Amino acid sequence: MASRAGQEKALRLLRHLPRVALNNIDHPNPKPASRRKRGAHGGDTHGAGDKGSKARQHFARAGFEGGQTPFYIRIPREDPYKGHHLRWEYPPVSLHQLQLMVDTDRVDAGRQIDLTQICNSGLFRLEPLRRQFGFQITDEGMDEFVTPVNLEVQWASERVIAAVERAGGTITTAFYDMASLQAMVDPERFFKRGVPIPRRALPPQDAVGYYTDPSTRGYLADPEQVARHRLTLAQKYGYELPEVKEGPLTERKDPRQIFFGLEPGWLVNLTDKQVWRVKDPVMSEYFRS
Amino acid sequence: MTTKLHLLLRSASFVQQNLCQPASRKCLHRATQMVRLCSTQAGKVHDTAPAVPVAAAESYAPALLRPLTETVAPSAAAVRQVWVENMDSADERKLGLLELHPEVFAAFPKLHLIHDNVRWQRMYRQVDYAATKTRAEVRGGGRKPHPQKGGGRARAGSIRSPLWKGGGVSHGPRGPKTHFYMLSHSARVGGLCATLSVKLAQNDLHVVRDLELPSADPGRLQELVERRYWGPSVLFVDDTDEMPENLVRAADQVPHYSLLPVYGLNVFTMLKHDTLVLTVAAVERVQERLLRALSIHNSMAVKHTDASLLR
Repeated sequence: MASRAGQEKALRLLRHLPRVALNNIDHPNPKPASRRKRGAHGGDTHGAGDKGSKARQHFARAGFEGGQTPFYIRIPREDPYKGHHLRWEYPPVSLHQLQLMVDTDRVDAGRQIDLTQICNSGLFRLEPLRRQFGFQITDEGMDEFVTPVNLEVQWASERVIAAVERAGGTITTAFYDMASLQAMVDPERFFKRGVPIPRRALPPQDAVGYYTDPSTRGYLADPEQVARHRLTLAQKYGYELPEVKEGPLTERKDPRQIFFGLEPGWLVNLTDKQVWRVKDPVMSEYFRS
Repeated sequence: MTTKLHLLLRSASFVQQNLCQPASRKCLHRATQMVRLCSTQAGKVHDTAPAVPVAAAESYAPALLRPLTETVAPSAAAVRQVWVENMDSADERKLGLLELHPEVFAAFPKLHLIHDNVRWQRMYRQVDYAATKTRAEVRGGGRKPHPQKGGGRARAGSIRSPLWKGGGVSHGPRGPKTHFYMLSHSARVGGLCATLSVKLAQNDLHVVRDLELPSADPGRLQELVERRYWGPSVLFVDDTDEMPENLVRAADQVPHYSLLPVYGLNVFTMLKHDTLVLTVAAVERVQERLLRALSIHNSMAVKHTDASLLR
């Protein structure tokens, strides 16, 4: 966009030019008009050349190179890439970005900053259908991170955990399965579907270890163990562990819960602004288990 | 002429990038319009400065997105001022002063956007009814007209082959075809702002207090228009579609005077008429709607600028 001075100059120029009307505007960069293959010079083979499969609209299969070993067969498979299309991804959010978001009011530090809050800031997008299972916090900007936050992410390294706790906040690593993720990433769209809130699944076998480990602040870990690890981490990195008061910094979700204030099985009706609970005892028991 | 216009604007070294928003636009999520009116003879037109009601603005915002809470007023140098004129007599009287937001009324005159809007308005409703029949659809032509060999004639399988007179058309137009497409929201909003800015810059935009005429005489209305050197064709814009009766009766007699409510404002009509006459209420409404439309994608649009700041 032009600077203000440039805009003023343009508008001042217009005063001396003829009135802009329907008969004197055209596009400064028009699409070239398509030229049909007709007439003396465009006819005969109409751009298809002479004979051959192309002229007869009988094309070879995609990737065929006339008999030469095609690229997709020539290039060998490599072990490190085996199953790459199935691996789970955790898009990074750095501590520097997080601090900036908190400072510019893109994210509310007075509530738990979880996946939904990061997505709602509009700055980060998660695509569960592309095997993105949550955010990981990276350590870029960990020295300047000062705000006490209640953070819930899907992966965090030890240094990140130390940086967050040094600032007086808390960090938890939590798992969300595909259905829960799709609800979390765009809650409004999910509620419009008119489907009850799903019960969050437990992590799969290879992730259970991570999410039950107090050293990684797993959400399934023993809180007492977690407290002990907070102390040891502070001693390891040499900072004084600030006291965390009961309040917004300590609120946690139930392992089966997706949204605060809403239990699994409840149905949110946005049009009538109602929340419907489960009455059936069997269903209620299932959702509460 | 048209290329000259572009070259002239370009030669003044304007840099036009795409519509990704700079920092100033980020702050337009809540916009207030300053209406400072000085009373002359007719008394004050407005007593208080109308601001965009927060309740109305909140109702547009998606509930789960937190809107930006800060606003930055436009720089004083960029704000536009227009006289509020009278319509109750042919003599021009200035009733007050109205301030216009530069994002709507002093935007860069993006001619490509204006062109895109005009083209869109023409094309989206265009239906091409041309249709031809293929050799299968032309009546007859099922039987082989003559044997393959022995006649001295060219071989033929059907009297309706495209080579034959009266035969089908091979690659002709096939049935009704629409040219419908939707121009992007930002392009439509940008086109409206560009057109309003062009009209104001070329002295073709006038603001009146209201459209109440003393009589329904079309001659008097024409006299009013001519005396003020308003263009032959005039577009009167009010904020409601129920216009004062005298104006309706008078303008009905004159084909080149048109009446339009704010919700019908469009680039094509604004360019078709030489002069644009808006009521104060219409200006407020247009401004409110366009400022909201400009900032509605802020949280996502700013991503491209803010994210680069974050890195």
